[in-house]
Amino acid sequence: MKTLAMGSSLTSAIVATVFSLFAACGTDISAPNNPTHAAALDFNPEQHLGDVEKNPSTPFLRYRADGHLFAIWTEDDDAGAKLNLSHGHEHAAGKMAPSPLRTAVLALSMDGGKTWSAPKRVNRDSEEIQGEENGPKVAFSADNRTYVVWSIPGSKGDKTRANIRFAMGDGRGGFTAARTLNEVNDAARFPIIEIAPDGNPLIAWIDRRIDNPKPRQLYLMRLKTDGHALTKNYRVGAGLCECCKLGIAFADGGKTVYMVDREVNDKQIRNHVLRKSVDGGATFGAPMQISDDGWQVPSCPHSGPSIGRDRRGWLHVAWFTMGRTEQEAGIYYSVSKDDGKSFAPRYLLHANTAPETLYNNLIAGDDDTVYFAWTNLDANNRAQVYLRTLRPDGRTWSPIQQISNAKGNASRPALALRKNDLQVAWTETDGEESRVVIRSARINP
Amino acid sequence: MKNRSEKGARNRHYLFALALTCASFTIATADFSAAQLMQQAAPNPGPAVGRNAIAFNLQTLEGKAVTLDTFRGKPLVMNFFASWCDPCRDEMPLINELAVKSAGNYQVLGIAVEDTRAALSEFAKEMKLVFPVALDLNNTVKRAYRIFGPPATFFIDSQGIIRDVVLGPLTPNQAREAMTKIAAAPVKIVPDKP
Repeated sequence: MKTLAMGSSLTSAIVATVFSLFAACGTDISAPNNPTHAAALDFNPEQHLGDVEKNPSTPFLRYRADGHLFAIWTEDDDAGAKLNLSHGHEHAAGKMAPSPLRTAVLALSMDGGKTWSAPKRVNRDSEEIQGEENGPKVAFSADNRTYVVWSIPGSKGDKTRANIRFAMGDGRGGFTAARTLNEVNDAARFPIIEIAPDGNPLIAWIDRRIDNPKPRQLYLMRLKTDGHALTKNYRVGAGLCECCKLGIAFADGGKTVYMVDREVNDKQIRNHVLRKSVDGGATFGAPMQISDDGWQVPSCPHSGPSIGRDRRGWLHVAWFTMGRTEQEAGIYYSVSKDDGKSFAPRYLLHANTAPETLYNNLIAGDDDTVYFAWTNLDANNRAQVYLRTLRPDGRTWSPIQQISNAKGNASRPALALRKNDLQVAWTETDGEESRVVIRSARINP
Repeated sequence: MKNRSEKGARNRHYLFALALTCASFTIATADFSAAQLMQQAAPNPGPAVGRNAIAFNLQTLEGKAVTLDTFRGKPLVMNFFASWCDPCRDEMPLINELAVKSAGNYQVLGIAVEDTRAALSEFAKEMKLVFPVALDLNNTVKRAYRIFGPPATFFIDSQGIIRDVVLGPLTPNQAREAMTKIAAAPVKIVPDKP
């Protein structure tokens, strides 16, 4: 009887367990707390990019069509150190004020990130190249031309009234002299560059040439393959939050362009939106709200959304929001399976472990698996990089994996993916020092 | 007696079954991270009006050590900001104005978050800041004060008690009201634009 009682209770437990597991597996991806498991990825050990003495930071990764992997980041400019010495730039307590001059450097790996070339300087002149989500970005044409954009503070040193700079490979192993792309000076920030499927570079940024009303505008510009202007600057959207990176994806041979950004209304409520163009980016339709997060914040979160389009045409979006209460804060995910007409209810990818702005990125693989990287605080209150994958079925998530072990803080992960190689890079800061870390994982080995 | 013991045993088995079910469910949902659970176990109460300001130990732009105790005995306006932050730049003339008009009755401290010494040196020069700027380069003070994004301003009285908090850019009206709460001498501040 005793055995039977135990047996029946054990049976109940097993049934309940199986039921709860099935319940967890069977719910829609939009419902939180339904994690089914895909395998965690096996990452190679960390590598560091750049000259550690020059505080490398703000990496961005991109594969070229020939399979070579490129990383671009910023470092202290030698010219800045010389300038300081010659000017005796000292503070009252005798501590040398470091120079704000930074240089953009580009390095190449021909073996999927195992070894790297010596970094090559991109900007000929010394400039105060901005980092974080304003950091330099690189893109490559199908015939391996290199295009780079970055931002520098405006003429009065104001980073919020900045300028977008552009340079391209000069065909002799160097780079052309940089030029400013925004036609109204001291008004642009957060540039991104992509090569549209027609081969022409497309640059987008957040613009404040119309400084009233306060929300910013979304501006685009197209270049010819030789780097000359194909279009003037043109406005395609308004009502943008003043900060944060933009996300972009293409479809239909470049005819359809999707962009994501954070919109702000007059009550300071910030929601993320999708903007869609069906004429190759010439005009965009009305912004489509991805999720009604109701995040009311008058301050500066500086963490933009990410978008990726898989081969089926599903649009995957990830973003950070604090939502309506602090308890809602975290990285969220949603998907549109109808070309941006509607989005699934948001899914909590990772809740904030403390009040902190989290940075995110995502990339879709050839097999429609989606890879997410973001930051959150670890048990020691240090920001680390985490990773998670979503299988092509749209509901099978891998466990949350911590892939950094920063002594200070890790921030702003960048992702690149080609065939079976996933690359993740980020900045680690500890006090006044920073470094760029990269790790790779073999996927579907 | 036997019945009671059998019932007890059965209850224990049900409890065991329940525990096993809960454990299984916990395992099923375990990828919502140990860190998340830890947050529930040890929440950070954070700062609040009426509570003591949270102690810190930082360095200024000039390399001098600065702690909360450095400012004890006089009211303190403590402003979290960053050189890259739009609303911080918008409110900075007002913070500077507060510092200019302090006349020794209260103190102003800037705490720079998620920033670099180089960028802050330029910012301080450009904005002609007249108050000390402490560098919170590892974000430890920002986290202790539970700030998602700058700017945020804490008004702390001479006893170290937080009397007002403004999240987002400070306006002259908010500043005027907050200054009275920390019993600082009245400050003539340029009024809000209508």
